[in-house]
Amino acid sequence: MNLPKQPLNQKIFKYSITSLIILASLWSAAGLEITLDRIIDAPKQIGILVGAMFPLDLSQEAFSRIIPKVFESLFIAWAGTVIGSFYSFPISFLAANNFTKGIVSKATKQILNIIRAFPELILAFIFLPITGLGPLTGTLAIGIHSIGTLGKLSSEVIEGIDEGPLEAIKSSGGSKINELTFGIIPQVMPTITSYWLYRFEINLRASAVLGVVGAGGVGQELINQLRFRDFPRAGTVLICTIVLVLTADAVSAAIRNRIIKGKLVKS
Amino acid sequence: MINIPPKPKASYLAKIGLPFAFMFSIFSFNMIDFNFSDFQNNLQNRKIVTEPLFNPKWQWAWDNTSSALLETIQIAILASIIGCAIALPLSFYASRATNLNKFSYFLYKSFLNLVRTIPDLFWAMMFTVAVGIGPFAGVLALVMFSLAIMGKLLSETIDSIDPGPMEAAKATGASHNQTVFTSALPQVLPNFTAYFLYIFELCIRASVILGLVGAGGVGRIIETQRIFLRFDRISPIIVIILAVVILIEQFSVWIRKKIL
Repeated sequence: MNLPKQPLNQKIFKYSITSLIILASLWSAAGLEITLDRIIDAPKQIGILVGAMFPLDLSQEAFSRIIPKVFESLFIAWAGTVIGSFYSFPISFLAANNFTKGIVSKATKQILNIIRAFPELILAFIFLPITGLGPLTGTLAIGIHSIGTLGKLSSEVIEGIDEGPLEAIKSSGGSKINELTFGIIPQVMPTITSYWLYRFEINLRASAVLGVVGAGGVGQELINQLRFRDFPRAGTVLICTIVLVLTADAVSAAIRNRIIKGKLVKS
Repeated sequence: MINIPPKPKASYLAKIGLPFAFMFSIFSFNMIDFNFSDFQNNLQNRKIVTEPLFNPKWQWAWDNTSSALLETIQIAILASIIGCAIALPLSFYASRATNLNKFSYFLYKSFLNLVRTIPDLFWAMMFTVAVGIGPFAGVLALVMFSLAIMGKLLSETIDSIDPGPMEAAKATGASHNQTVFTSALPQVLPNFTAYFLYIFELCIRASVILGLVGAGGVGRIIETQRIFLRFDRISPIIVIILAVVILIEQFSVWIRKKIL
Protein backbone atom coordinates (compact mmCIF):
# COMPACT_ATOMS: atom_id res chain seq x y z
CA MET A 1 0.00 0.00 0.00
CA ASN A 2 1.24 3.46 -0.78
CA LEU A 3 0.87 5.63 2.25
CA PRO A 4 1.86 9.27 1.83
CA LYS A 5 5.11 10.02 3.63
CA GLN A 6 5.18 12.38 6.55
CA PRO A 7 7.07 15.55 5.62
CA LEU A 8 10.62 15.58 7.00
CA ASN A 9 10.39 18.87 8.90
CA GLN A 10 7.28 17.64 10.72
CA LYS A 11 9.18 14.52 11.76
CA ILE A 12 12.11 16.57 13.06
CA PHE A 13 9.70 18.81 14.93
CA LYS A 14 7.97 15.82 16.51
CA TYR A 15 11.18 14.14 17.66
CA SER A 16 12.73 17.34 18.97
CA ILE A 17 9.60 18.11 21.03
CA THR A 18 9.53 14.59 22.44
CA SER A 19 13.18 14.65 23.40
CA LEU A 20 12.79 18.14 24.87
CA ILE A 21 9.96 16.92 27.12
CA ILE A 22 11.92 13.84 28.20
CA LEU A 23 15.06 15.88 28.87
CA ALA A 24 13.12 18.49 30.84
CA SER A 25 11.49 15.90 33.05
CA LEU A 26 14.76 14.03 33.62
CA TRP A 27 16.52 17.29 34.49
CA SER A 28 13.75 18.21 36.92
CA ALA A 29 13.66 14.77 38.50
CA ALA A 30 17.42 14.82 38.97
CA GLY A 31 17.32 18.30 40.46
CA LEU A 32 14.59 17.35 42.92
CA GLU A 33 16.34 14.08 43.83
CA ILE A 34 13.34 12.02 42.84
CA THR A 35 14.42 8.46 42.18
CA LEU A 36 12.45 5.69 40.56
CA ASP A 37 12.03 3.68 43.76
CA ARG A 38 10.48 6.70 45.48
CA ILE A 39 7.95 6.98 42.67
CA ILE A 40 7.18 3.26 42.86
CA ASP A 41 6.93 3.44 46.63
CA ALA A 42 4.64 6.48 46.66
CA PRO A 43 1.29 4.74 45.89
CA LYS A 44 1.87 2.34 48.78
CA GLN A 45 2.54 5.17 51.23
CA ILE A 46 -0.47 7.11 49.99
CA GLY A 47 -2.50 3.93 50.43
CA ILE A 48 -1.33 3.69 54.04
CA LEU A 49 -2.41 7.29 54.69
CA VAL A 50 -5.83 6.81 53.10
CA GLY A 51 -6.20 3.54 55.01
CA ALA A 52 -5.47 5.36 58.25
CA MET A 53 -8.32 7.78 57.55
CA PHE A 54 -10.91 5.01 57.58
CA PRO A 55 -13.10 4.47 59.50
CA LEU A 56 -13.84 8.20 59.57
CA ASP A 57 -14.24 9.99 62.87
CA LEU A 58 -18.00 10.50 62.93
CA SER A 59 -18.33 11.46 66.59
CA GLN A 60 -20.53 14.32 67.72
CA GLU A 61 -17.53 16.23 68.99
CA ALA A 62 -15.70 16.06 65.67
CA PHE A 63 -18.69 17.41 63.79
CA SER A 64 -19.31 20.20 66.27
CA ARG A 65 -15.75 21.38 65.57
CA ILE A 66 -15.61 20.82 61.84
CA ILE A 67 -19.03 22.01 60.63
CA PRO A 68 -18.64 25.64 61.84
CA LYS A 69 -15.22 25.78 60.16
CA VAL A 70 -16.65 24.43 56.92
CA PHE A 71 -19.37 27.06 56.96
CA GLU A 72 -16.83 29.72 57.83
CA SER A 73 -15.11 28.88 54.55
CA LEU A 74 -18.43 29.30 52.77
CA PHE A 75 -19.01 32.72 54.37
CA ILE A 76 -15.46 33.84 53.57
CA ALA A 77 -15.87 32.82 49.95
CA TRP A 78 -19.25 34.57 49.62
CA ALA A 79 -18.19 37.77 51.37
CA GLY A 80 -14.98 37.83 49.33
CA THR A 81 -16.95 37.42 46.13
CA VAL A 82 -19.30 40.23 47.19
CA ILE A 83 -16.33 42.55 47.79
CA GLY A 84 -14.77 41.49 44.50
CA SER A 85 -17.90 41.99 42.41
CA PHE A 86 -18.87 45.25 44.13
CA TYR A 87 -15.55 46.91 43.33
CA SER A 88 -14.77 45.18 40.06
CA PHE A 89 -18.06 46.24 38.44
CA PRO A 90 -17.32 49.98 38.12
CA ILE A 91 -13.62 49.31 37.53
CA SER A 92 -14.38 47.01 34.61
CA PHE A 93 -16.12 49.89 32.80
CA LEU A 94 -12.97 51.94 33.21
CA ALA A 95 -10.90 49.08 31.84
CA ALA A 96 -13.06 48.39 28.78
CA ASN A 97 -11.50 50.09 25.79
CA ASN A 98 -14.82 50.80 24.05
CA PHE A 99 -16.24 52.69 27.02
CA THR A 100 -13.18 54.68 28.09
CA LYS A 101 -10.63 55.56 25.49
CA GLY A 102 -6.90 55.20 25.44
CA ILE A 103 -4.75 55.75 28.47
CA VAL A 104 -7.44 55.26 31.16
CA SER A 105 -8.35 51.84 29.88
CA LYS A 106 -4.73 50.76 29.47
CA ALA A 107 -3.71 51.97 32.93
CA THR A 108 -6.70 50.32 34.62
CA LYS A 109 -5.93 47.07 32.84
CA GLN A 110 -2.34 47.12 34.05
CA ILE A 111 -3.49 47.77 37.63
CA LEU A 112 -5.87 44.81 37.37
CA ASN A 113 -3.04 42.65 36.02
CA ILE A 114 -0.84 43.52 38.97
CA ILE A 115 -3.62 42.76 41.48
CA ARG A 116 -4.30 39.46 39.76
CA ALA A 117 -0.67 38.40 39.91
CA PHE A 118 -0.69 38.06 43.72
CA PRO A 119 -2.04 34.69 44.87
CA GLU A 120 -4.67 34.83 47.64
CA LEU A 121 -2.35 33.14 50.11
CA ILE A 122 0.35 35.76 49.72
CA LEU A 123 -2.20 38.55 50.14
CA ALA A 124 -3.54 36.73 53.18
CA PHE A 125 -0.27 36.64 55.05
CA ILE A 126 0.49 40.22 54.12
CA PHE A 127 -2.82 41.23 55.76
CA LEU A 128 -2.36 38.87 58.68
CA PRO A 129 -0.34 41.21 60.95
CA ILE A 130 -2.79 44.05 60.23
CA THR A 131 -6.19 42.46 60.59
CA GLY A 132 -5.23 39.55 62.80
CA LEU A 133 -5.85 35.83 62.72
CA GLY A 134 -9.35 35.14 61.57
CA PRO A 135 -11.83 35.07 58.74
CA LEU A 136 -11.65 38.81 58.03
CA THR A 137 -8.10 38.44 56.72
CA GLY A 138 -9.13 35.65 54.39
CA THR A 139 -12.10 37.64 53.14
CA LEU A 140 -9.94 40.65 52.32
CA ALA A 141 -7.38 38.50 50.52
CA ILE A 142 -10.01 36.74 48.45
CA GLY A 143 -11.91 39.97 47.81
CA ILE A 144 -8.87 41.82 46.50
CA HIS A 145 -7.74 38.95 44.31
CA SER A 146 -11.30 38.69 42.95
CA ILE A 147 -11.29 42.38 42.02
CA GLY A 148 -8.38 41.63 39.71
CA THR A 149 -9.83 38.55 38.05
CA LEU A 150 -13.44 39.73 37.86
CA GLY A 151 -12.35 43.15 36.59
CA LYS A 152 -10.49 41.53 33.72
CA LEU A 153 -13.31 39.12 32.81
CA SER A 154 -16.06 41.77 33.06
CA SER A 155 -14.12 44.31 31.04
CA GLU A 156 -13.71 41.71 28.30
CA VAL A 157 -17.47 41.12 28.33
CA ILE A 158 -18.07 44.87 28.00
CA GLU A 159 -15.62 45.05 25.12
CA GLY A 160 -17.50 42.32 23.29
CA ILE A 161 -20.97 43.92 23.30
CA ASP A 162 -23.14 44.57 20.27
CA GLU A 163 -22.84 48.25 19.32
CA GLY A 164 -26.29 48.33 17.68
CA PRO A 165 -28.37 49.21 20.77
CA LEU A 166 -25.89 51.97 21.64
CA GLU A 167 -26.35 53.56 18.22
CA ALA A 168 -30.11 53.27 18.55
CA ILE A 169 -30.00 55.09 21.88
CA LYS A 170 -27.67 57.73 20.48
CA SER A 171 -29.87 58.33 17.41
CA SER A 172 -32.98 58.76 19.56
CA GLY A 173 -31.14 61.44 21.56
CA GLY A 174 -30.02 59.45 24.60
CA SER A 175 -27.18 60.69 26.75
CA LYS A 176 -24.02 58.79 27.68
CA ILE A 177 -25.71 57.73 30.95
CA ASN A 178 -28.70 56.40 28.98
CA GLU A 179 -26.31 54.41 26.83
CA LEU A 180 -24.81 52.89 29.93
CA THR A 181 -28.06 52.01 31.69
CA PHE A 182 -30.12 50.94 28.66
CA GLY A 183 -27.45 49.87 26.19
CA ILE A 184 -24.53 48.27 27.98
CA ILE A 185 -25.75 47.01 31.35
CA PRO A 186 -28.71 44.93 30.10
CA GLN A 187 -26.39 43.29 27.58
CA VAL A 188 -23.54 42.43 29.92
CA MET A 189 -25.38 41.72 33.16
CA PRO A 190 -26.22 38.02 32.57
CA THR A 191 -22.65 37.11 31.61
CA ILE A 192 -21.11 39.18 34.40
CA THR A 193 -23.46 37.67 37.00
CA SER A 194 -22.53 34.21 35.85
CA TYR A 195 -18.86 35.16 36.15
CA TRP A 196 -19.53 36.29 39.73
CA LEU A 197 -21.03 32.92 40.55
CA TYR A 198 -18.17 31.16 38.79
CA ARG A 199 -15.72 33.20 40.82
CA PHE A 200 -17.59 32.18 43.96
CA GLU A 201 -16.93 28.52 43.10
CA ILE A 202 -13.20 29.24 42.71
CA ASN A 203 -13.14 31.35 45.87
CA LEU A 204 -14.69 28.53 47.85
CA ARG A 205 -11.71 26.31 47.04
CA ALA A 206 -9.34 29.17 47.79
CA SER A 207 -10.97 29.94 51.14
CA ALA A 208 -10.71 26.30 52.14
CA VAL A 209 -6.96 26.60 51.66
CA LEU A 210 -6.48 29.95 53.42
CA GLY A 211 -6.64 28.39 56.88
CA VAL A 212 -3.10 27.13 56.29
CA VAL A 213 -1.73 30.58 57.17
CA GLY A 214 -4.39 31.13 59.85
CA ALA A 215 -6.79 33.23 57.82
CA GLY A 216 -9.88 31.29 58.83
CA GLY A 217 -11.75 28.43 57.26
CA VAL A 218 -11.46 24.69 57.09
CA GLY A 219 -7.81 24.52 56.06
CA GLN A 220 -6.71 25.31 59.61
CA GLU A 221 -8.63 22.31 60.87
CA LEU A 222 -7.12 19.97 58.29
CA ILE A 223 -3.53 21.03 58.90
CA ASN A 224 -4.02 20.72 62.68
CA GLN A 225 -5.42 17.21 62.46
CA LEU A 226 -2.66 16.12 60.09
CA ARG A 227 -0.03 17.55 62.44
CA PHE A 228 -1.50 15.74 65.43
CA ARG A 229 -1.65 12.56 63.33
CA ASP A 230 -5.40 12.32 63.95
CA PHE A 231 -6.07 10.80 60.53
CA PRO A 232 -9.70 9.70 61.00
CA ARG A 233 -10.68 13.25 61.86
CA ALA A 234 -8.59 14.63 58.99
CA GLY A 235 -10.56 12.30 56.74
CA THR A 236 -13.82 13.71 58.08
CA VAL A 237 -12.59 17.25 57.40
CA LEU A 238 -11.74 16.27 53.82
CA ILE A 239 -15.10 14.61 53.21
CA CYS A 240 -16.96 17.61 54.65
CA THR A 241 -14.97 19.95 52.39
CA ILE A 242 -15.68 17.80 49.34
CA VAL A 243 -19.41 17.72 50.12
CA LEU A 244 -19.51 21.50 50.58
CA VAL A 245 -17.60 22.20 47.37
CA LEU A 246 -19.66 19.75 45.31
CA THR A 247 -22.98 21.13 46.60
CA ALA A 248 -21.96 24.75 46.07
CA ASP A 249 -20.68 23.89 42.57
CA ALA A 250 -23.92 22.16 41.64
CA VAL A 251 -26.16 24.98 42.92
CA SER A 252 -24.05 27.69 41.34
CA ALA A 253 -23.78 25.82 38.02
CA ALA A 254 -27.57 25.39 37.92
CA ILE A 255 -28.15 29.11 38.54
CA ARG A 256 -25.52 30.04 35.95
CA ASN A 257 -27.18 27.80 33.40
CA ARG A 258 -30.55 29.38 34.10
CA ILE A 259 -29.10 32.89 33.75
CA ILE A 260 -27.22 32.23 30.52
CA LYS A 261 -29.55 29.84 28.70
CA GLY A 262 -32.84 31.23 30.05
CA LYS A 263 -35.88 29.37 31.26
CA LEU A 264 -36.36 25.86 30.00
CA VAL A 265 -39.39 25.92 27.72
CA LYS A 266 -41.21 22.61 27.63
CA SER A 267 -42.28 21.79 24.12
CA MET B 1 -49.48 58.44 23.07
CA ILE B 2 -47.03 55.67 22.33
CA ASN B 3 -47.89 52.13 23.22
CA ILE B 4 -44.98 50.89 25.24
CA PRO B 5 -44.87 47.10 25.43
CA PRO B 6 -45.30 45.85 29.01
CA LYS B 7 -42.17 45.13 30.93
CA PRO B 8 -41.56 41.40 31.29
CA LYS B 9 -42.26 40.12 34.78
CA ALA B 10 -39.31 39.24 36.93
CA SER B 11 -38.73 35.52 37.12
CA TYR B 12 -38.98 33.53 40.33
CA LEU B 13 -35.22 33.19 40.36
CA ALA B 14 -34.86 36.97 40.50
CA LYS B 15 -37.76 37.46 42.93
CA ILE B 16 -36.48 34.95 45.47
CA GLY B 17 -32.80 34.76 44.57
CA LEU B 18 -31.85 38.43 44.72
CA PRO B 19 -33.24 39.13 48.23
CA PHE B 20 -31.80 35.81 49.36
CA ALA B 21 -28.37 36.67 47.96
CA PHE B 22 -28.56 40.07 49.64
CA MET B 23 -29.52 38.61 53.02
CA PHE B 24 -26.88 35.95 52.70
CA SER B 25 -24.24 38.61 52.01
CA ILE B 26 -25.19 40.53 55.14
CA PHE B 27 -25.21 37.30 57.11
CA SER B 28 -21.77 36.35 55.76
CA PHE B 29 -20.28 39.72 56.67
CA ASN B 30 -21.70 39.28 60.17
CA MET B 31 -20.28 35.80 60.47
CA ILE B 32 -16.77 36.86 59.52
CA ASP B 33 -16.86 39.58 62.22
CA PHE B 34 -16.62 42.44 59.81
CA ASN B 35 -16.68 45.61 61.86
CA PHE B 36 -15.81 48.83 60.16
CA SER B 37 -14.50 50.79 63.18
CA ASP B 38 -12.34 47.86 64.29
CA PHE B 39 -11.10 47.57 60.77
CA GLN B 40 -10.08 51.21 60.72
CA ASN B 41 -8.31 50.81 64.05
CA ASN B 42 -6.47 47.82 62.69
CA LEU B 43 -5.41 49.73 59.63
CA GLN B 44 -3.38 52.01 61.89
CA ASN B 45 -0.93 49.20 62.56
CA ARG B 46 -0.36 48.80 58.87
CA LYS B 47 3.15 50.19 59.33
CA ILE B 48 4.37 46.85 60.72
CA VAL B 49 3.83 45.44 57.29
CA THR B 50 4.00 48.27 54.81
CA GLU B 51 7.25 49.78 56.02
CA PRO B 52 9.39 46.67 55.52
CA LEU B 53 7.30 45.66 52.51
CA PHE B 54 8.33 48.76 50.60
CA ASN B 55 11.97 48.63 51.74
CA PRO B 56 12.97 45.39 50.04
CA LYS B 57 16.33 43.79 50.74
CA TRP B 58 17.29 42.83 47.21
CA GLN B 59 20.74 41.53 47.99
CA TRP B 60 19.45 39.01 50.51
CA ALA B 61 16.78 37.71 48.15
CA TRP B 62 19.28 37.41 45.31
CA ASP B 63 21.63 35.33 47.44
CA ASN B 64 19.08 33.01 48.99
CA THR B 65 16.26 32.32 46.58
CA SER B 66 17.86 31.23 43.31
CA SER B 67 18.12 27.53 44.19
CA ALA B 68 14.60 27.43 45.64
CA LEU B 69 13.25 29.20 42.60
CA LEU B 70 14.87 26.61 40.36
CA GLU B 71 13.28 23.92 42.51
CA THR B 72 9.88 25.56 42.04
CA ILE B 73 10.27 25.54 38.27
CA GLN B 74 11.44 21.93 38.29
CA ILE B 75 8.45 20.89 40.39
CA ALA B 76 6.11 22.59 37.93
CA ILE B 77 7.79 21.03 34.87
CA LEU B 78 7.81 17.50 36.24
CA ALA B 79 4.30 17.68 37.70
CA SER B 80 2.68 19.14 34.61
CA ILE B 81 4.34 16.55 32.35
CA ILE B 82 3.38 13.58 34.52
CA GLY B 83 -0.10 14.90 35.29
CA CYS B 84 -0.94 15.58 31.65
CA ALA B 85 0.52 12.24 30.56
CA ILE B 86 -1.78 10.44 33.02
CA ALA B 87 -4.73 12.62 32.07
CA LEU B 88 -4.43 11.91 28.32
CA PRO B 89 -5.72 8.30 28.41
CA LEU B 90 -8.05 9.01 31.35
CA SER B 91 -9.91 11.75 29.52
CA PHE B 92 -10.66 9.40 26.62
CA TYR B 93 -12.32 7.10 29.13
CA ALA B 94 -14.13 10.08 30.67
CA SER B 95 -15.73 11.21 27.42
CA ARG B 96 -19.06 10.05 26.06
CA ALA B 97 -17.76 10.17 22.50
CA THR B 98 -15.01 7.60 22.98
CA ASN B 99 -16.20 5.50 25.93
CA LEU B 100 -19.29 3.56 24.96
CA ASN B 101 -19.67 1.84 28.33
CA LYS B 102 -21.93 4.16 30.34
CA PHE B 103 -20.92 2.76 33.71
CA SER B 104 -17.16 3.11 33.28
CA TYR B 105 -17.70 6.57 31.72
CA PHE B 106 -19.56 7.57 34.87
CA LEU B 107 -16.81 6.13 37.10
CA TYR B 108 -13.97 7.97 35.31
CA LYS B 109 -15.95 11.19 35.16
CA SER B 110 -16.71 11.14 38.88
CA PHE B 111 -13.12 10.25 39.69
CA LEU B 112 -11.93 13.34 37.82
CA ASN B 113 -14.60 15.46 39.54
CA LEU B 114 -13.55 14.17 42.94
CA VAL B 115 -9.88 14.96 42.30
CA ARG B 116 -10.91 18.43 41.16
CA THR B 117 -12.84 19.28 44.33
CA ILE B 118 -9.80 18.90 46.59
CA PRO B 119 -7.70 22.10 46.49
CA ASP B 120 -4.02 21.80 45.54
CA LEU B 121 -2.75 22.76 48.97
CA PHE B 122 -4.86 20.02 50.59
CA TRP B 123 -3.18 17.50 48.31
CA ALA B 124 0.18 18.96 49.28
CA MET B 125 -0.62 18.64 53.00
CA MET B 126 -1.66 15.02 52.60
CA PHE B 127 1.34 14.10 50.48
CA THR B 128 3.77 15.71 52.91
CA VAL B 129 2.34 13.37 55.52
CA ALA B 130 2.39 10.36 53.18
CA VAL B 131 5.79 10.66 51.47
CA GLY B 132 7.59 13.09 53.75
CA ILE B 133 8.36 16.79 53.60
CA GLY B 134 10.16 17.91 50.46
CA PRO B 135 9.70 18.64 46.77
CA PHE B 136 8.49 15.12 45.98
CA ALA B 137 5.25 15.80 47.90
CA GLY B 138 4.87 19.01 45.93
CA VAL B 139 5.31 17.16 42.65
CA LEU B 140 2.64 14.63 43.61
CA ALA B 141 0.24 17.39 44.70
CA LEU B 142 0.65 19.24 41.43
CA VAL B 143 0.30 15.98 39.49
CA MET B 144 -3.18 15.62 41.00
CA PHE B 145 -3.85 19.31 40.30
CA SER B 146 -2.88 19.13 36.63
CA LEU B 147 -4.53 15.73 36.21
CA ALA B 148 -7.83 17.20 37.36
CA ILE B 149 -7.72 20.29 35.15
CA MET B 150 -6.44 18.47 32.06
CA GLY B 151 -8.99 15.70 32.58
CA LYS B 152 -11.85 18.16 32.62
CA LEU B 153 -10.68 20.34 29.73
CA LEU B 154 -9.63 17.49 27.47
CA SER B 155 -12.63 15.21 28.09
CA GLU B 156 -14.94 18.10 27.25
CA THR B 157 -12.96 18.72 24.07
CA ILE B 158 -13.25 15.05 23.15
CA ASP B 159 -17.00 15.25 23.75
CA SER B 160 -17.29 17.83 21.02
CA ILE B 161 -15.05 16.31 18.33
CA ASP B 162 -16.22 15.78 14.78
CA PRO B 163 -17.71 12.24 14.62
CA GLY B 164 -17.06 11.95 10.86
CA PRO B 165 -13.48 10.60 10.99
CA MET B 166 -14.48 8.10 13.68
CA GLU B 167 -17.32 6.80 11.53
CA ALA B 168 -14.98 6.57 8.59
CA ALA B 169 -12.48 4.53 10.61
CA LYS B 170 -15.28 2.26 11.85
CA ALA B 171 -16.56 1.77 8.32
CA THR B 172 -13.16 0.43 7.27
CA GLY B 173 -13.45 -2.19 9.98
CA ALA B 174 -11.22 -0.71 12.67
CA SER B 175 -11.67 -1.88 16.24
CA HIS B 176 -12.80 0.61 18.86
CA ASN B 177 -9.26 1.21 20.13
CA GLN B 178 -7.97 1.72 16.60
CA THR B 179 -10.78 4.16 15.90
CA VAL B 180 -9.98 6.21 18.96
CA PHE B 181 -6.27 6.14 18.23
CA THR B 182 -6.44 7.10 14.57
CA SER B 183 -9.42 9.45 14.44
CA ALA B 184 -10.14 10.89 17.87
CA LEU B 185 -6.60 11.43 19.17
CA PRO B 186 -5.24 13.50 16.23
CA GLN B 187 -8.27 15.78 16.47
CA VAL B 188 -7.57 16.79 20.05
CA LEU B 189 -3.75 16.82 20.02
CA PRO B 190 -3.43 20.55 19.22
CA ASN B 191 -5.84 21.33 22.05
CA PHE B 192 -3.89 19.01 24.31
CA THR B 193 -0.68 20.94 23.64
CA ALA B 194 -2.37 24.27 24.28
CA TYR B 195 -3.93 23.00 27.52
CA PHE B 196 -0.57 21.56 28.57
CA LEU B 197 1.11 24.94 28.29
CA TYR B 198 -1.76 26.57 30.15
CA ILE B 199 -1.53 23.99 32.93
CA PHE B 200 2.22 24.49 33.09
CA GLU B 201 1.58 28.18 33.79
CA LEU B 202 -0.95 27.29 36.49
CA CYS B 203 1.53 24.84 38.01
CA ILE B 204 4.25 27.51 38.20
CA ARG B 205 1.83 29.79 40.03
CA ALA B 206 0.64 27.00 42.32
CA SER B 207 4.10 25.65 43.10
CA VAL B 208 5.09 29.00 44.58
CA ILE B 209 2.79 28.50 47.56
CA LEU B 210 3.32 24.76 48.02
CA GLY B 211 6.27 25.46 50.29
CA LEU B 212 3.94 26.97 52.88
CA VAL B 213 2.98 23.44 53.92
CA GLY B 214 6.47 22.02 53.43
CA ALA B 215 6.16 20.70 49.90
CA GLY B 216 9.31 22.31 48.54
CA GLY B 217 10.05 25.26 46.32
CA VAL B 218 10.36 28.94 47.00
CA GLY B 219 7.36 28.90 49.36
CA ARG B 220 9.61 27.28 51.94
CA ILE B 221 11.71 30.42 52.16
CA ILE B 222 8.62 32.64 52.20
CA GLU B 223 7.18 30.59 55.06
CA THR B 224 10.25 30.90 57.28
CA GLN B 225 10.54 34.65 56.67
CA ARG B 226 6.81 35.12 57.13
CA ILE B 227 6.87 33.64 60.62
CA PHE B 228 9.52 36.21 61.64
CA LEU B 229 7.53 38.98 59.92
CA ARG B 230 10.53 39.78 57.70
CA PHE B 231 8.46 41.43 55.02
CA ASP B 232 11.54 43.29 53.81
CA ARG B 233 12.86 39.91 52.70
CA ILE B 234 9.56 38.61 51.38
CA SER B 235 8.74 41.49 49.08
CA PRO B 236 11.78 41.08 46.78
CA ILE B 237 11.04 37.33 46.59
CA ILE B 238 7.47 38.10 45.53
CA VAL B 239 8.67 40.53 42.90
CA ILE B 240 11.18 38.01 41.53
CA ILE B 241 8.49 35.32 41.41
CA LEU B 242 6.12 37.66 39.61
CA ALA B 243 8.80 38.44 37.05
CA VAL B 244 9.47 34.75 36.45
CA VAL B 245 5.77 33.93 36.21
CA ILE B 246 5.14 36.72 33.71
CA LEU B 247 8.17 35.67 31.66
CA ILE B 248 7.02 32.06 31.49
CA GLU B 249 3.49 33.18 30.64
CA GLN B 250 4.72 35.27 27.73
CA PHE B 251 6.81 32.34 26.52
CA SER B 252 3.90 29.94 26.63
CA VAL B 253 1.53 32.39 24.94
CA TRP B 254 4.13 32.71 22.17
CA ILE B 255 4.36 28.93 21.74
CA ARG B 256 0.59 28.54 21.80
CA LYS B 257 0.26 31.08 19.00
CA LYS B 258 2.81 29.12 16.96
CA ILE B 259 1.07 25.80 17.48
CA LEU B 260 -2.58 26.73 17.01
